[in-house]
Amino acid sequence: MLFGALHAAVVPPSPETLLGLAREFTPRAEPRGRDTVLLDLRGLARAWPDPVSLGEALLDAGRAFDPQVALAGSRVAACLLARSLPGLTVVPTGAERGRLAPLPLEALELPPELLALLHRWGLRTLGELAALPADGLFARLGAEGPRLRRQARGEDEVPLVAVPRREEFACALELEWPVDGLEPLAFLLARVLEPLCEALRARGRRAVEVALILRLTDGGTHARTVKPAAPSADPRTWRTLLLLDLEARPPRDAIAAFSLRAEPTPARTVQFSLLDPAQPSPERLAETLARLQEWTEAGRGGSPVLIDTHRPGAFAMGSFAPGAWKGPSAPPAARLCLRAFRPPRVARVSLEDGAPCFVSAAGIRGAVTDRAGPWRASGDWWDAAWSREEWDVAVGGGLFRIYRDRLRGGWFVDGELD
Amino acid sequence: MTAPVKAALEDLLRARFRVAAAPPLRGEDLRPRPLPSGIPLLDEILGGGFPRGQLSQIVGPASSGRTGVATTLVARATRAGALAAWIDPADCFDPCSASEAGVDGGRLLWLRGGALPRVVSAAHTLAGSGLFDVVVLDLAAVYAECARLPAPTWRRLQRALADQPVALVLLAPGHVAASAGGVALSLGESVARWSGAPGPGRLLRGVGARARAGRFQPRPASFELTA
Repeated sequence: MLFGALHAAVVPPSPETLLGLAREFTPRAEPRGRDTVLLDLRGLARAWPDPVSLGEALLDAGRAFDPQVALAGSRVAACLLARSLPGLTVVPTGAERGRLAPLPLEALELPPELLALLHRWGLRTLGELAALPADGLFARLGAEGPRLRRQARGEDEVPLVAVPRREEFACALELEWPVDGLEPLAFLLARVLEPLCEALRARGRRAVEVALILRLTDGGTHARTVKPAAPSADPRTWRTLLLLDLEARPPRDAIAAFSLRAEPTPARTVQFSLLDPAQPSPERLAETLARLQEWTEAGRGGSPVLIDTHRPGAFAMGSFAPGAWKGPSAPPAARLCLRAFRPPRVARVSLEDGAPCFVSAAGIRGAVTDRAGPWRASGDWWDAAWSREEWDVAVGGGLFRIYRDRLRGGWFVDGELD
Repeated sequence: MTAPVKAALEDLLRARFRVAAAPPLRGEDLRPRPLPSGIPLLDEILGGGFPRGQLSQIVGPASSGRTGVATTLVARATRAGALAAWIDPADCFDPCSASEAGVDGGRLLWLRGGALPRVVSAAHTLAGSGLFDVVVLDLAAVYAECARLPAPTWRRLQRALADQPVALVLLAPGHVAASAGGVALSLGESVARWSGAPGPGRLLRGVGARARAGRFQPRPASFELTA
């Protein structure tokens, strides 16, 4: 006896009800509609040496739903028998076809048109359908014909698809007296996170995010969710991230109880390369970025991303997530770089023959001793148009990039070349 | 595996894959290897580059090339697969210039703005994380405020990075701090190179920079920074 089916004559309130009942016997259970569940009963001989006692145990467990139970060597036979016959049906392995033969065709739950067609052919039972040649059925009904024939003979077509149990990784702690401040909470978090992360690791899981709900003494709650760049099952990392988050947004009152819930994800497998440089540990990177949340959350910390435009100085801030290294490459020769003034400093510029000869701006004042330009550029006429005339000028020992805004007028110092 | 055998195997692998100057091997102790600046003449007077686990400084007046030197250092590190950080309290860093200088923006963490004590605290976090090969702290625009920092600030920072394979480089117009094992690179006034005679179409070609390294017997070097 390999498989069993439990059919509830009284439809249970939710599909999970029968599944939960089946999981009391085996973790491999597959719901078939709302009223039937299929069970993989292999390996239960120690607990129930006799199939009848196992079937009776199933009947007893589902007595609230007026159950019909069938045990058979094939899944389809167990399912059809459980739906058709009351009480307990036990079919020895190999005898499924004979036991299914007297069942009416209605047991297959066929569409009405197909059922009427089979009736017109004079077929009434599964045994009569099973006796027909497969070629003939295929010629008349297509692929559906042989499939029905195999079902009528109790032959399985698809494997049992067990629905895995939803994994819950949650812990809660009621405190004997309220805790005020993050330092004592750090010890309590460590106490809860250790077993939580251990449970995650034991099932080959990592937490992609952790939700912390603090119940406060004023009756309210303070909920925070931490989601680092990479999943982790390291309690120290999670504790640090949670504490850093609470430092930034502390609860308004003392804590009376708290609960933690981790969202699991399968552990990643990383194949390291012998010759590539080591990539940063995602956990440590997440922890470091969490410590810098003053910058990262305000959009002032991250990686600069150049924008595909000719507008001078255009860039965007992206999140800092270093990807795979592209391999060694020689950097260009050392260059002068611009130290940008944000926003550009308003300047007063005197001209001589159309070229700047004196510049005065905040922190910069003097005669222009040398210059290069003008370099005119414009763009984005369809959006926020810009047009400028740039000069590189030497003023008082420094090199500066100045420009004249040709649309709005006025001179500005863009930055210092250093 | 014994240390000599491991070292021999690493040398063999480097020679085999011709990446001797670029990426370190997994698990290799990087601290004895200084971080090359990417400018050979400068590396000669620095004794190979900026030492790891030490606080170094690049000082010089405006347009002396200090930002160019620091950017070249970051470009070299990021191109070799390492991570770099640029802490920029005055928000002066220009990503376009940095990209032209060869910086891999995806491997650069840029922190913009922030009060000076918070910025020093961020440098502490980054240097102590062990994730970055080079951290540049740009104090050029906030140099006057540095005097208001508590006296042990830089000593504490040095202690945080002593065991880490990171070179922390301060950028300033004048002396701020450098640890005993760090380097103090002093840049003098540069000489601008212009193309052709004054007039339309003229270009700023670059600057001729002059540097000195060392405190008691300074070693000079001259190099070019292109514009």
